[in-house]
Amino acid sequence: MFINYEHENNVYNVSVERRKDLYFITYDNTEYKVKAEEIKPGHLKIKLGDRIIKSVITTGKKDKFVFTDGNVFKVKNVELSGAIKTKKRKEEGNLNSPISGKIVNIKIKNGDIAKKGDVLMVIEAMKMEYLIRAPFNGKIKKVNFKEKDQIEIGQKTIDIIKKEEA
Amino acid sequence: MDVIESNINTSSKEFKENFNHYEKLVTDLKKEIAIASKGGGEDKIKLHISRNKILARERIDALLDPDTPFMEFNTLAAHGMYKNRAPCAGIVTGIGIVHGREVIIVANDATVTGGTYYPMTVKKHLRAQEIAMKNNLPCIYLVDSGGAFLPMQDEVFPDREHFGRIFFNQAKMSSMGIPQIAVVMGSCTAGGAYVPAMSDETVIVKGTGTIFLGGPPLVKAATGEEVSAEDLGGADIHCRISGVSDHYAHGDLEAIHIARNIVENLNRPEKTYLDIKKPEDPLYDIREIYGIIPKDSRKTYDVREIIARIIDGSKFHEFKELYGNTLICGFARIMGYPVGILANNGVLFSESALKGSHFIEMCGQRKIPLVFLQNITGFMVGSKYESGGIAKDGAKMVSAVTCAEVPKFTVVIGGSFGAGNYGMCGRAYEPRQLWMWPNSRISVMGGEQAANVLLTVKRDQLWRKGKELTKKEEKDIKMPILKKYETEGSPYYSTSRIWDDGVIDPVDTRMLLGLGISASLNSPIPDWKPGVFRM
Repeated sequence: MFINYEHENNVYNVSVERRKDLYFITYDNTEYKVKAEEIKPGHLKIKLGDRIIKSVITTGKKDKFVFTDGNVFKVKNVELSGAIKTKKRKEEGNLNSPISGKIVNIKIKNGDIAKKGDVLMVIEAMKMEYLIRAPFNGKIKKVNFKEKDQIEIGQKTIDIIKKEEA
Repeated sequence: MDVIESNINTSSKEFKENFNHYEKLVTDLKKEIAIASKGGGEDKIKLHISRNKILARERIDALLDPDTPFMEFNTLAAHGMYKNRAPCAGIVTGIGIVHGREVIIVANDATVTGGTYYPMTVKKHLRAQEIAMKNNLPCIYLVDSGGAFLPMQDEVFPDREHFGRIFFNQAKMSSMGIPQIAVVMGSCTAGGAYVPAMSDETVIVKGTGTIFLGGPPLVKAATGEEVSAEDLGGADIHCRISGVSDHYAHGDLEAIHIARNIVENLNRPEKTYLDIKKPEDPLYDIREIYGIIPKDSRKTYDVREIIARIIDGSKFHEFKELYGNTLICGFARIMGYPVGILANNGVLFSESALKGSHFIEMCGQRKIPLVFLQNITGFMVGSKYESGGIAKDGAKMVSAVTCAEVPKFTVVIGGSFGAGNYGMCGRAYEPRQLWMWPNSRISVMGGEQAANVLLTVKRDQLWRKGKELTKKEEKDIKMPILKKYETEGSPYYSTSRIWDDGVIDPVDTRMLLGLGISASLNSPIPDWKPGVFRM
């Protein structure tokens, strides 16, 4: 994985690779082998060669603050155009049926509160089960189908009112 | 290249449940493989050793370069067949490295019914030769076999793909420039005598190795002549008098040493060029695959999570990410070799088939090996899709898969059903190797679907006669079919019949693909020459 971060207006490009419990960090063509342990949330014990470094990291709105050996570093992640980056894949739920099939299970009813990622409905087709998950927190306005109903690809399964709007 | 970011939470309850379930599948698999690797069992092994012979697997170990891998095929061949009397089908086959070059090894295991050929033994031997032909690899036969298993002669002797084909292949391979080497370390009777006789160079071991068309009992029955096996076809006869063998060895290890010397002098051509980089480990632990594959095979998951764990650095250049997204296509490296990966992420639609065909075309033209990660319940059915021409789009993919002459590798990582199996390079499409994961299932359709289809047919027949089925009759029709599909869909059923090259631990997938690609580079990659695509 490649991370670009900014500290005092300089951009540092760092490559991080995890192998088992070791991290291989490459910066400026030098590779560092690091063992890191999270003692408690935000508190890291880092072993670099014979050195043991204890760090505390807190995350602000845009920036991260790293406290190490009495120093404070203010850093932020930046995306560089053209730089190598990891691919973010959003696992957002979608309320439209991904396939034509039969509805085998409806887990909610009108008026229920759904949390993002909750399974709302199960559709069966072609030997597989397809899960309809809530794309955001909200309140179920209307379930458009009954169990055992046939549904076509692209049809809206459920109407949800987003929490902010409710 | 971009890196696949994993969304797996390895501390979730679901992950742990899947992991434990899968770990058991792998433990069971390893147990079965360990049993099959023992061959004919303790008593037979003792007898074998008492004859101054070493075991088939020890012979292979001695033949290979030290500390090099042996890619074994079908250890579980004949598993559960012939009353379990032929573990490993009585023959060990695989690709190993001798003097730095890949060779095919075919070694009879005389502890299994004297190394005689059951139907699956023949099939396994022929499959090893097929791999040799495809990959242009020299063959080394470590012969120790009594020939055909006589009680099953009708299933091993007369047909096209039976015993005779072994020698047909030897002649054909020799004419293709593939060296054939035989090391006679036991009996080599009747048809079996042609294995050394048709080889380029043959080694025979004094005292244990014998070659003859008819053994002493048959000679006595036919002509009345009484003769010992050694005087009839031993090392002295064949090296000094008949000329059937070329090299004389005093024991198994000396014979293997001579075989290594033969390979050292083969003068093999350079391997095919591929743009090879230094291999990198995936970013994520490959064992996490155990926790990603859902315990319930009906559940879906993102196949990119699997891809991320078998490719170098988890770096993936995805093709047409937003189009036909039930088939994931992209370029990556495995053990430093460039590959094009096609992986199912749901049912195949027209768009996914078109995308797959386009991607295969590119790999065919760029001469990049193809890796298929097969988890396919089929092409989408229904009037909307039939009228949309899904049959012709599926046909394009099948045609592209067939005509792409780049080395192809298939790993069945889940379901393998119906025409999906064809489009995703099933056995009939001649991937260089096809492996199955222990969770996989293979059949023409799902058991439930097959039972319902047959039930509907039956119901219609009766309806024409004015009759109806009772609930019990319906159950009596469905149950046996469900049971049959359950048994026959198992990877063990598949591998015992050599529909694949082995059931493997997912953790080994990356390494095996690397070895397979390396071996494939012994033969040239032909130019892309497609057939007619129905547009």
